[in-house]
Amino acid sequence: MNKSLVSFLVFVVGLAVFHNAIFPIFTPKEVGWILNRYVYFLLFVAYLIITNLALKLKPPIAMMGMFVWLIGFYFYKFVLYPPIPWTLFITYMVMWSIGTFLFISQDPETFREFRKPIVKTIVGEYKLARIIVFTALPILVGMATYNAIYPSYLEPVELRTVHPAPPATTKVHGKTYPLESTNNPFRVDEQDNYKDSFPFLDADKQEYMKYVTEGGTIFFQNCHYCHGDQLNGLGMFSHVFNPTPANFIDPGTIAMLQEAFLFWRVSKGGPGLPNESTPWSSAMPPWEEHLKTEEIWKVILFEYWYTGWHPRTFGTESSTAGGGE
Amino acid sequence: MTKNKNNIKRLIFSFLAVALIAIPGTAMAAMPDPIKKDMLEKGKKVYFKRCVWCHGVEGGGDGPSAERLYTRPRNFIQGTFKIRWTDSGELPLDINLINTVKNGLQGSAMPAWGEFLAEDEILAVVQFVKSLVQDRDWSDEDEEVNNVIGGSATSSSSVGAIGADVGKGPLGNPPWAETKGPYHLGVPQEHIDAGKELFMKNKCWECHGGEGRGDGNPTMKDDWGFPIVAANWQQCWNFRGARRDPFNPFVIARTISTGLNGTPMPNFREQLTGTERWQLAAFVNSLCPRKKIDPLTNKPVPDFLIQSVYTEGPVVPKIDDPSWQSPDTDDRIVPAPEEQKENPKRHHIAMAGQITRGKRNFDPKADNLWVTSRWSAEEQAVYYLVEYDLRFMSTDPEYPDAVAIQWPAKLQDLFGAEKPYFIYGDSKKPVDIWKASFLAKDYNATNAPNEKGYQLDMSVKEFVANGFDAVKDKESEGKVEVVDSIFHQGRVKVMFKRSLTTEGEFDVQIPSEQFIPVSFMQWAGRDKEHDEHMAISTWYYTILKPALPASLYYMPPIVGFVFICFQGWLVWMTKRTRKMYDEGKMRRDELPR
Repeated sequence: MNKSLVSFLVFVVGLAVFHNAIFPIFTPKEVGWILNRYVYFLLFVAYLIITNLALKLKPPIAMMGMFVWLIGFYFYKFVLYPPIPWTLFITYMVMWSIGTFLFISQDPETFREFRKPIVKTIVGEYKLARIIVFTALPILVGMATYNAIYPSYLEPVELRTVHPAPPATTKVHGKTYPLESTNNPFRVDEQDNYKDSFPFLDADKQEYMKYVTEGGTIFFQNCHYCHGDQLNGLGMFSHVFNPTPANFIDPGTIAMLQEAFLFWRVSKGGPGLPNESTPWSSAMPPWEEHLKTEEIWKVILFEYWYTGWHPRTFGTESSTAGGGE
Repeated sequence: MTKNKNNIKRLIFSFLAVALIAIPGTAMAAMPDPIKKDMLEKGKKVYFKRCVWCHGVEGGGDGPSAERLYTRPRNFIQGTFKIRWTDSGELPLDINLINTVKNGLQGSAMPAWGEFLAEDEILAVVQFVKSLVQDRDWSDEDEEVNNVIGGSATSSSSVGAIGADVGKGPLGNPPWAETKGPYHLGVPQEHIDAGKELFMKNKCWECHGGEGRGDGNPTMKDDWGFPIVAANWQQCWNFRGARRDPFNPFVIARTISTGLNGTPMPNFREQLTGTERWQLAAFVNSLCPRKKIDPLTNKPVPDFLIQSVYTEGPVVPKIDDPSWQSPDTDDRIVPAPEEQKENPKRHHIAMAGQITRGKRNFDPKADNLWVTSRWSAEEQAVYYLVEYDLRFMSTDPEYPDAVAIQWPAKLQDLFGAEKPYFIYGDSKKPVDIWKASFLAKDYNATNAPNEKGYQLDMSVKEFVANGFDAVKDKESEGKVEVVDSIFHQGRVKVMFKRSLTTEGEFDVQIPSEQFIPVSFMQWAGRDKEHDEHMAISTWYYTILKPALPASLYYMPPIVGFVFICFQGWLVWMTKRTRKMYDEGKMRRDELPR
């Protein structure tokens, strides 16, 4: 009995020390090969095994089963990262519980030993334990029933398509543009030549920088409220709108799109989206209402220059050749 | 005159500093950090790629975006910087500028560059910004900086520096320094109460208003002649320099100690000791509702589902009635008072300027709304209490203030998540708009704080819209009422009421237990906002929650009792098995030898 108590203390105190003192050391900002949460977890398990073996504690099988189950709970709840959704957590814990049960019932001896304290509680040989368990359980069951019946409402989840299929052509300011073969008329040179150029200062000397400056001017008069000063979709109004504004820094947006796709999206805005992209709540204006055609192209040119991304092209050689002719 | 005074102050200060240079707790006079010339080239590169768009080619705060920004970008030419640790009128320390660049200025368009630019780029661009200052000289021997806060030039964040080295500086530690725990909960009430007295005594309300919503003085100008308003203390996530830590009173204690250069905000070091400044900061901080703050946008996370609470009998149509009271604070952070637990919650609705269609609004006056709702099955009616902070109301009958609730007019025709366009609907899907327009009675923006508040001259209209250019008066009789309203200490409160079902063709019909799209619009009359020139929210949902089911009260005891019976059965069974073992009627399972 005393040894069981020691074993129990080894577990509880050990967990408290490990979780509060050692866990923070193993979760630095820069995760390393040694300093990571999984190494920490292995260390904790090793500590338990070694301490129990070294002190020859031999806790009863019921207690060992509890330790095993709690270690699994601790791992899935606190160690595993990123945190998993509760449905998955329940699934994992069910499997872990089955595993724990298999461990307990591996042979009849351990299983009987495991049953012994339970049976003793039920028949009343452990009097205090019986009183506590037999009063607490019905109360807990009643409370669980209350929680299950209590109505709660969560906002409905809505899914949307972020990059809808573009149309074949788009008509802006009376002119029809075929999306596949339209290029930015202001992309007069290779973008990478202007990485270190200055907007405004070089606008007189370099034609490309003139267009970038004009595009940036339009961006910072119209677009930054949502798409942000850093083009990361965190502008001062961005938190209001749902869907949230696109983040151009992200490799999943303009970096993987053709300039003509952007031209279509910018010109037609939210109302020009198909239904699967929830056009009713997109705050993106149909910019053809506010900007001229060339202003739209210049803004697109600026967005690529600022982020350093290159627009996607299909068949690099043919498209450059086509642009050169 | 003031300059003279300043000089004398400076003299005294430098004298003190020299005399007490070894004793911690006093300001240290020093030269400003000189410009590090070797960094200018790199800084120029960063500036002209990232900063020039707002701050302008010469740093005059006149980049392309400036005309459409409120607050305007900083004009560097005069060397006037708001967020400092130095005395009023003095140049900032390098560390202040670095922190501002790193953390951005919440509530303005200045973003946080700390995660965007590399450390050396930030250090360089700060040196370049310093080189744009024309009217002051960073290496002039007459220029002097007194760090009146404390903190060493190596601390990485002005906000996080609390305790560590701020405590050794002239501001000192907060009097509740021994209280550990989150700042937003840990300040003892006695310090907040002491702070409130200091607030009254020092007349902070002259500019900041009776309840700190910045509704005190409509006539203020900054150093460049642009209109400026006092901070709204009930929206602390907009405090400059409060990034990711808006409930930390340090930001306020710093501003009280240093003033804000270029604005009418003075420092209060002569009137208040360090401890008193902390207490005043604690009071200001206590006014801000505790909400979960999104770490990316630095704004409260909106409550996307507005829950209308079922009310036994009729709803009391009075804003002041106890049945309508609940804190703005999220009850998951600070539990609501016991008597308000069953009351409807105040839901946070984020607002922005309508910058999409027609005449756009780049400087909306309302940042957010608070919406609270009850409904009654007996009355067959639903009530929505819409509140928002507004510093100054309109007095022009041609441009009254207004707030509106927008609904899909034909809810029954919508399929799945489908909704009308969120700005006045679209040609196929009309919206139903309940608009309350109002002027305050006997109101003048320059009045002293009025504890009773102002009654509102209210007119309610209903519109049906098929687009921002197709908004029409409803032909059917209006069924929406405003049952109570007031403008109180910088907050507008309007309570709408409508029956759940009506006859009108374009009236939304409101079923219970169903998610119904809803959105909000707001017009600031003082800014001559009208039609689509307004502030707007995106689509939210509302639901009329049913009464709590009666089974909630009888099912748990029943299930508990059934479980007790099960336990009895278990005991009986186990005992019986044992008895059978003992009497030898049955053999125990045998273990393998």
